[in-house]
Amino acid sequence: MPSSNPLPLTVAPPSHNSLARQGWRRLRRDRIGFGSLCIVALYLLLAMAAWSGLLARHWQDEVAKPFAPPTLFANLGPQHVELNAADIDAANQRRRAAAGSDSSAATGLDASEDPLAADMAAAQQQAAQYHSEEAPKADTLPLGADQRGRDIRQKVLQGTATSLLVGLSGALLALTIGTVLGALSGYFGGLLDDLLMWGYSVFTSVPDMLLLLAFAAVSGRGIGTVVVVMALTSWTGSYRLMRAEFLKHKSREYVRAADAIGASHGRRMFHHILPNVSHLLLVQFSMLTVALIKYEAILSFLGFGVGITQVSLGAMLAEAPAELLQGYWWQMLTVTVVMSVLVTAFSLLTDSLRDALDPKVK
Amino acid sequence: MNKHALLAMLAACTLLPATAADMNKVLHVAMNAPETGFDPAKVSDLYSSAINENIYDPLVSYDYLARPAKLVANTSTLPSVSVDGKVYTFHIKPGIYFADDAAFKGKKRELTAADYAYSIKRHLDPTVRSPWSFLVDGRFVGADELVKAAGKGALNYDTPVEGIKVVDKYTLQLTLTETNFNFLSILAMPAFGAVAREVIEANRDNTNAHPVGTGPYLLKEWKPGSKIVLEANPGYRKVVFDSVPGNDPVDRAVVKALQGKTLPRVGRVEVAIIEEEQPLWLSFLNRQLDVSGIPQAALQDALVINPKNPLDVKLADKYARQGMQLQRQQMPEVNFHFFNMQDPVVGGDSKDKIALRRAIAMAFPVNETIAAIRRGQAVPMNYIVPAGVAGHNPAFRGAPKYDPAAANALLDRFGYRIGEDGYRIRPDGKPLAVELASGTTALNKQWNEYWQQAFDKLKIHLNFKLGKWNELAKANQQGKLQMWGMAWGADYPDGENFMQLLYSKNAGDSNAADFKNADYDRLFEASLKLPDGPERNKLYDAMNKIVVAQQPWIFGDIRVRSTLAQPYVKGLKLHPLLNTSWRYLDLQK
Amino acid sequence: MLAFIIRRVAQMVPTLFGVMLLLFVLFNWVGGDPSYILAGKNLSPEALANIRHQLGLDLSLPQQFVIFVKQVLTLDFGTSWSTQQPVTSILHSRIGPSLLLTGSILLLGTVLAVVIAALVAYLRGSLTDRLVTLISTCAMSVSGLVYIIAGQYWLAHKAGLFPIMGWSDRIAENLLYYLPLPLLLGVVVGLAPDIRFYRSCFVEEMNHDYVRTARAKGLSEPVIMLKHVLRNAMIPVVTSLMMSLPYLMMGAMLLETFFSIPGMGKEVVMAVDRSDFPVIKAITIYIALATMLFNLLADIVYKLIDPRVELS
Repeated sequence: MPSSNPLPLTVAPPSHNSLARQGWRRLRRDRIGFGSLCIVALYLLLAMAAWSGLLARHWQDEVAKPFAPPTLFANLGPQHVELNAADIDAANQRRRAAAGSDSSAATGLDASEDPLAADMAAAQQQAAQYHSEEAPKADTLPLGADQRGRDIRQKVLQGTATSLLVGLSGALLALTIGTVLGALSGYFGGLLDDLLMWGYSVFTSVPDMLLLLAFAAVSGRGIGTVVVVMALTSWTGSYRLMRAEFLKHKSREYVRAADAIGASHGRRMFHHILPNVSHLLLVQFSMLTVALIKYEAILSFLGFGVGITQVSLGAMLAEAPAELLQGYWWQMLTVTVVMSVLVTAFSLLTDSLRDALDPKVK
Repeated sequence: MNKHALLAMLAACTLLPATAADMNKVLHVAMNAPETGFDPAKVSDLYSSAINENIYDPLVSYDYLARPAKLVANTSTLPSVSVDGKVYTFHIKPGIYFADDAAFKGKKRELTAADYAYSIKRHLDPTVRSPWSFLVDGRFVGADELVKAAGKGALNYDTPVEGIKVVDKYTLQLTLTETNFNFLSILAMPAFGAVAREVIEANRDNTNAHPVGTGPYLLKEWKPGSKIVLEANPGYRKVVFDSVPGNDPVDRAVVKALQGKTLPRVGRVEVAIIEEEQPLWLSFLNRQLDVSGIPQAALQDALVINPKNPLDVKLADKYARQGMQLQRQQMPEVNFHFFNMQDPVVGGDSKDKIALRRAIAMAFPVNETIAAIRRGQAVPMNYIVPAGVAGHNPAFRGAPKYDPAAANALLDRFGYRIGEDGYRIRPDGKPLAVELASGTTALNKQWNEYWQQAFDKLKIHLNFKLGKWNELAKANQQGKLQMWGMAWGADYPDGENFMQLLYSKNAGDSNAADFKNADYDRLFEASLKLPDGPERNKLYDAMNKIVVAQQPWIFGDIRVRSTLAQPYVKGLKLHPLLNTSWRYLDLQK
Repeated sequence: MLAFIIRRVAQMVPTLFGVMLLLFVLFNWVGGDPSYILAGKNLSPEALANIRHQLGLDLSLPQQFVIFVKQVLTLDFGTSWSTQQPVTSILHSRIGPSLLLTGSILLLGTVLAVVIAALVAYLRGSLTDRLVTLISTCAMSVSGLVYIIAGQYWLAHKAGLFPIMGWSDRIAENLLYYLPLPLLLGVVVGLAPDIRFYRSCFVEEMNHDYVRTARAKGLSEPVIMLKHVLRNAMIPVVTSLMMSLPYLMMGAMLLETFFSIPGMGKEVVMAVDRSDFPVIKAITIYIALATMLFNLLADIVYKLIDPRVELS
């Protein structure tokens, strides 16, 4: 790069800072937008509390009876008898007794035939240290319980945290892939652009569902997989957007000026151009987050969700069809409400951001 | 009138189809998984078999009402069996015809002994790649040579085989290499129904879509994975219902509806494939289906379950008032989890390995899963052979008592110490983690939560390996799995079908646990030579004890199936081995 | 124009090749081994080897790929590995229901969305506008799964307004009896995002200078709206419509599952589940072709609606 000027001059791009400040001012004036921002912030706070273990850390504890109804609507639940292990135990005993086989007729492994007989007997003696008292189980909970008697409140908190984590990091990953490839493609053009465009058209031509089933099949299950699968199937939109923007900006004056003072390609792409398209990235990011939070629900339903030691809103929703058939409506209702509020707020925030950051609107 | 004309008329009378089926009656049923096709030598899934059962005729079949299930004559009389249990001679009834097909070039095509010989040989043909070949491989005298001669190519069906001999047009003689008194129940499977060679050869590339048999129904329409329509076979021989009722009141109702009537009753059967529970159950409630199993999620809505005795159920009032009929039946199946016995962590027969497996078995709450997942509609498994199958021992207690505390103490005794992170390590100081394979459905997830709970109680790390069935099966065959759950349903009602699951020669095949135990093998081989009876039961008990001591399996449960029928459905009785009862059903709306 | 079309069609070839490559790699890497399904209860090594031989899975990967290329060139994908039905006849039976379902959802959904969006764009800033936008936003925040589960449970089962599920061979019966509920649910799921998207297109169009000029010329609002705005705003509408058609055919999978409609989405899931590569190959190639064709079509329509568009 022919550069004789050693001074690290930054050529001021057209004031993206002022755009951000102006956008913030506009957003604050927009009541719906600002309200949405507060709601989203609240969700993020709750999610952070759940991630850090301050909240809903014990969501897996079985604190209530199976399908304990919400306290206020205890009578609106179905009046099913929930069986427990003791019932089955007792019934098995009775069935044996009724079959006439007194216990002496029962056969099985004699101690003499068991290689572990002595240890089994000793283990029975030593078992006391491992006995634990079962805590009493609640009959009702504020938002009810699921099949295992877990508190829906805790579950939905933890689920929201997971869904947000999945949505945000999936969006971030998709956006990163899309931006880097789009920037390379738009900025350098030529053969590299052709190659990346080829990859882009291949990816957009293959049905999402198939990519999803294929990716999910290779890479185990869990949050990581969900994030990667979602990112790999949704980076194309950002790629197209960023490619067009970089194509447009690379011939702008300020970039040429940067070239003149010897800024490297990387510096021009990511230090000069990127900040000028960042408002688009922000909008794209929040749009993707919303889409991915919903996408996760479908993934969970198809059996590609998070593992059983984790819970997400989608995983909770996937339990809904079976519960609804039995008349247990509370988990589905809770998840639907929590998810709707989050997604609605996020969408409205996206709209407001788009308006607030649009440089055309004065 | 000359003699010939009279004979022709007489013949016409006997051949005249019974035309009993009312073509205006349509039976609507559903299956909860897709079928694959209708070539009996090519399909093994339950759903395809259920359809094939209605299209093809095996030599012998089961009585509709008799319990325990009883084999009766079908297209053949019950065979004469030689004293050593090796030679079976069948006499095919004359005057049975295949359903019309273009391959017969407009002629009526009579069913003969050669058709059964052909149909059995197809299971040996390498190009057919029958999933049932394990039932016939090495079974018939002289068949091995034929298979060897075929190599990877097609079998030469015209080469005579001593063990599968067509004595005359109506006589088939099967000669076995080993004594086997239970062979007849294998031949009663839908897989051994008669196909016509002309039809198979005319549709060589697509035998799955062109089923032509002698059974009560024929395939009218097939939309793979979505809809199957059967229509009464107009040329079906006259079959009059003559089953004898037992003590069951259901039997009397069936007899009342069907006594003296020709089968089948219903002219058209429409089978929908509905995989989700919600549409399946709601369709039944809205009378879009006439008969349906009760999906797990609807059990509590449909049944009033007595908590004192969960198997004592009655139909919920709202459905009983409508006159719906409930029928229940314990399945001839076992559900269990197995360990990979060749695995360095969970396999092996040293005491510490047995202790690990035993502890896991003691920590899994079978009764809790029966209560919460099965809704009480299952019994614990205590013997390898389930009730309703010859060789079952109801007094045997094979499952260890649920006792996670003692299981922990047992692990302590064998050096599985609790490490710094609160989880156990192996006696040699290496970290301990067990991997459990599982499917990905919502139901799998419910089970996995109980496994997680069991392993948490033992303080052992548990990882899940989730995947499609075929991927897991492949991984298991390559010895890459540690634990996996399996369900085995009776192919035929004999204990051998279950005891072979742990025979070392079936390792990597049906012996999914790769269990290899010389004592077990010796007892199993001895049991093959015996007919069902106390002598064989003694061997079965000894084999069960080996399995309980070595713990290659964790015994699970045996489901009790609940089926509902609309009030206007007559003639329904669940059968433990027949997949369907469609030919016996009548609709009186 | 013709040159443009020819160039675009020529560009499809490398894309199609890429799709084939991706598909081939994916399937051989993750697709699962179909021989384990076909072997049923008989998992002996001989049986599995025999099946693999007959499916051609024992050929080398390049050989398999050459066969694949031949299949694509002739558009003959052979027979399904699991049911042994010709792939062509499977697709043939699936395309009708898929088109009927997704076509009607798309048609009704778009008409409704465009009308409502134009209306609220015209009334932009008013209470109606805000209300419709808010309701759309709320409506699209509920998972499609909830609509389907709840719709089937309450509308079909509890209220008895529709059949629970089913599909017939007669189009009329489908349209009048089986289709309405899945159609309704499909439209509801897709409507809200469409309204929001189209509204923004309209609003953007209305901010353009030529609208101001038209107004200055004294043209009435409805005329401006119908003659100018609608016409120009149709470009993104048409694009999104064209682009979404191939995807919709897959996306209706949940509707197909819950309402027992024998469409493509269900077929793909079943084929993946059974590792039925011929069916997967065929569907993917057809969808890829459809996607590319509709993209081209969208560009051509672009050009027809707005001659200013440069076709590059």
